[in-house]
Amino acid sequence: MGKIMLDGHAIPFKLGDNILQTALEANLEIPHFCYHAALGSLGACRLCAVEITPKDSGKAPRVAMACLEPSEDGLKVSVSAIAAQQVRQHVIEFLMINHPHDCPICDEGGECHLQDMTVVCGPPYRRYRGRKRTFPNQDLGPLIHHEMNRCITCYRCTRFYQDYALGNDLGAMRLRNEVYFGRFQDGPLENPFAGNLVEVCPTGVFTDAIFRQHFARVWDLKTAPSICPHCSVGCNTLPGARDGTLRRVRNRAHPELNRWFICDRGRYGHQYSEHSARPLAPRVSGTDTSYHDALNAAASQIKSTQDCIGGLGSTREDLEGNAMLQALLNNLGGIFTAFSDPKLETATIAAVSSLQNIGNAPSLAEIEQIDAALIIGDLTAHAPMIDLALRQAYRKGAKLAFLYSSPTPLAQFATTAITVSPQEMCTELSRLYQLINAQSAAEDITDTPMTDIAASLMGARKSLLIGAIETMTSQEVSTLSKLATALGSDTKLAYAFSGANAYGAALLSPTGSAVAMLEAVEAGQIRILIVAGNDPLGDSRFGTRWRAACRNLSALIVLDCILTATAKAADILFPVAAWTERGGTFINYEGRAQGFATVFHRPEYLPNVARVITDLAQYLGHSLQAAPSVLGDIFSDFQIPKPGTTGSLITAPSLPMPATASAHSIQESCNSTWQAALASWYGDEALASFAPGLMALTPKTVAMIEPTSAIDAGIKNGSKIKLRGSSGSMVLSVRFNQDVATGTIAIARNVLVQLGVGHGDSLELEQVL
Amino acid sequence: MNKKQTNNYTLALIKGLGRSLWAVLRHAFVKRETVSYPDIKRTLPSRWRGRIVLTRDPDGEERCVACYLCSAVCPVDCIHLQARQNGDGRRYPETFSIDFSRCIFCGFCEEACPTLAIQLTPDFEMCERHHESLVYEKNQLLIDGQGKHPGYNFYRHAGVAIPGKAIGEAEGDTPPVDRDNNLP
Ligand code: SF4
Ligand code: SF4
Ligand code: SF4
Ligand code: SF4
Ligand code: FES
Repeated sequence: MGKIMLDGHAIPFKLGDNILQTALEANLEIPHFCYHAALGSLGACRLCAVEITPKDSGKAPRVAMACLEPSEDGLKVSVSAIAAQQVRQHVIEFLMINHPHDCPICDEGGECHLQDMTVVCGPPYRRYRGRKRTFPNQDLGPLIHHEMNRCITCYRCTRFYQDYALGNDLGAMRLRNEVYFGRFQDGPLENPFAGNLVEVCPTGVFTDAIFRQHFARVWDLKTAPSICPHCSVGCNTLPGARDGTLRRVRNRAHPELNRWFICDRGRYGHQYSEHSARPLAPRVSGTDTSYHDALNAAASQIKSTQDCIGGLGSTREDLEGNAMLQALLNNLGGIFTAFSDPKLETATIAAVSSLQNIGNAPSLAEIEQIDAALIIGDLTAHAPMIDLALRQAYRKGAKLAFLYSSPTPLAQFATTAITVSPQEMCTELSRLYQLINAQSAAEDITDTPMTDIAASLMGARKSLLIGAIETMTSQEVSTLSKLATALGSDTKLAYAFSGANAYGAALLSPTGSAVAMLEAVEAGQIRILIVAGNDPLGDSRFGTRWRAACRNLSALIVLDCILTATAKAADILFPVAAWTERGGTFINYEGRAQGFATVFHRPEYLPNVARVITDLAQYLGHSLQAAPSVLGDIFSDFQIPKPGTTGSLITAPSLPMPATASAHSIQESCNSTWQAALASWYGDEALASFAPGLMALTPKTVAMIEPTSAIDAGIKNGSKIKLRGSSGSMVLSVRFNQDVATGTIAIARNVLVQLGVGHGDSLELEQVL
Repeated sequence: MNKKQTNNYTLALIKGLGRSLWAVLRHAFVKRETVSYPDIKRTLPSRWRGRIVLTRDPDGEERCVACYLCSAVCPVDCIHLQARQNGDGRRYPETFSIDFSRCIFCGFCEEACPTLAIQLTPDFEMCERHHESLVYEKNQLLIDGQGKHPGYNFYRHAGVAIPGKAIGEAEGDTPPVDRDNNLP
């Protein structure tokens, strides 16, 4: 620790920091382009010139690059020195020689680093009268617009894309003053984090192609701190809206979660709220009506019934909405659960319970520091930013081990990757548990990959066990948590939940309530069902049962902001505010309660779920407490977290570990040899599936099968097969894929829904000739 | 106040009054500056800041590229627009409205406009009975001519491609670099 003298001010520095970092840390700006906190120094742009006076008085002051010069105690640095100013001015003047006359039509304008630096450092007028070099542009897909003329060769894009996000389809080409940043051929960028180029590039080379369709300048955008609703990581975002429509979403730094980046689902998934089919007016029996009439209709249905009432919350509904629905059901004497899928419910509750017992999940910043990890399932789709954090751990040398049933992009960085069919996953985990428990890993030669995993986990300084809950059973969850206990306190446990508020939903849902609800609807005991933000009818595993059961209902009341299968079937539909149009609280995968604020209002009246429930209760003659006090009753000394703060871990009564015996009984064994596995991709999520830009990148629907087991069954690559599940059949073409487990067919979610099977369920296969 | 001072003061008063009376008398006989508006209308200087128009470039295309600079600089916030893109890359305002009941005709928008699209004209006769009628929409603003700056076409200088002008075909551009080739 020491201090540098920056233009006469003493600025403290951390050892190992350079002058630029020291200055930025102290909120003092030294002009720069290529330095980026996450990507480090490169010395490519030469803009960060400063004058340094060596301590040794015999030496003359010299101009150096602040981003490359380590801070030393007593070092005299001048940003304002004439020599340094001149260097910066020349750098800008040279960059401007070839820069196009584009600012009025450039989407970066107004938040352009180059504009700012030109105003700060550059000459006010252009002296060069020669000709400009130009570059052709590329079609980089529906999400990113490319305008290569505006490049200033800072190399931030490739450093982010290749070095940080470990993508390989964007790079630098050519040489001299003609360096080109793009893909080898036109085509969408493949990396799930490519959207960050928009923020990383200091100029308008990469801009948001979705925002471009309905562009507004940054100074016209209404913003407020928000939380990404597309997965349980809970990245902090800054959505921007104008004229009653949402225009874009950008990253908002959280010191422990997403610091500089978010995933493309978080950045582009927001289009669901602008979807043309989004319900915006309350509907009763298919006709649009007023909010008041819809409330009246719902209230009279509820009043007239003698039967029990069901309230189905959701893992993507905020804490307030779920808690208010639960409070209403408590008042009416009905059943509440936040899960439509009993299997997901037990797995989620088991996971939350094991986190409560073992200790909280690590933050993204902590995940980056681990040196060994065991990953169950696909994180790229279920928690994209955990995937990016693990990529950072991998860059630092962490050993990543995988047990997975269907392809996962992260497995390309695996030290050990074992494909395991869904039904054998639990056995394999138990085997690993035994290996670690017996401490005899080294002797077991017949089982090399598994012993490798055991050895790397046991040898690690900090290790992580993480699984994607949607593709896990509660038995697997409890085995994984036993594994974590066996490995000791240096091992962290984490789960990628399904739904932004799945952790909170689990805290509110009693174990077994999902199956109780489904059975009560099937038995005709529940005749009125209130669904808030859930889609039981569109569920893959239980959709068939829910669809049949819902015929028994006298009224299906749905509150949602997207037109799901359930919302389409609703007798009474209340359109509610999307996440950017309301405030609330999500609990993320760590158990961190984070608040988000209302960014803007639409012209239509769109209340949030808590509001609709409160109003409905009033129409029924009940008066509910306000959401904060309802939550205060459930969680002792709970304070609604303030939007824009880092949030705090929730203290909740501990959940009992669900009995695991029942978990597997749902799946009757059948004589079929094939099992289904969910083949997910990073855009695969309920809300994001209404975002047209992102959905344009959906992988082709095929049946992925492991080559050996396919050839054994006489199936050829590219041939057609017919798959049959409980609710239908579908013909698909076969694609061989080494990353699918033996005896498993990996298919996309929409196919699973159509077939009526879930991850791990049996499938019948028939060859089509 | 002494007597001498009072005398001086009265003298100055009479002198002043006399001068004014003389001026009035003289002006009764000189040529008149006022005209009998609206029967007679004056020709205003072309730099007069009156009704705002959106002009077209020499090719007859809309000049405005919806950059939002005029609306940003407007001190009374009376310009509202929304940008759109043609499939081919040309950007234009989908909607453009100016609330002339708020406009103070300062001319800042014209000064900010990088494409010379928005121009103030010497027309000030815009009385309306209702406030809403003073909100001019794009069809009322967009004229067919180039206004007072003939000849300028922003897209001929910009780096982006539009129909009829590919990358590297702007004024002062070199043909685009072949990225697949490392030869100098
Ligand atoms: S990159 Fe910046 S300086 Fe260049 S055209 Fe765009 S806004 Fe203007
Ligand atoms: S494309 Fe952008 S990030 Fe990449 S080198 Fe050019 S200016 Fe830098
Ligand atoms: S990782 Fe999850 S929370 Fe973060 S931006 Fe992506 S979808 Fe949103
Ligand atoms: S400043 Fe000119 S080009 Fe920009 S929006 Fe206004 S009129 Fe259009
Ligand atoms: S920031 Fe130092 S050279 Fe670019």
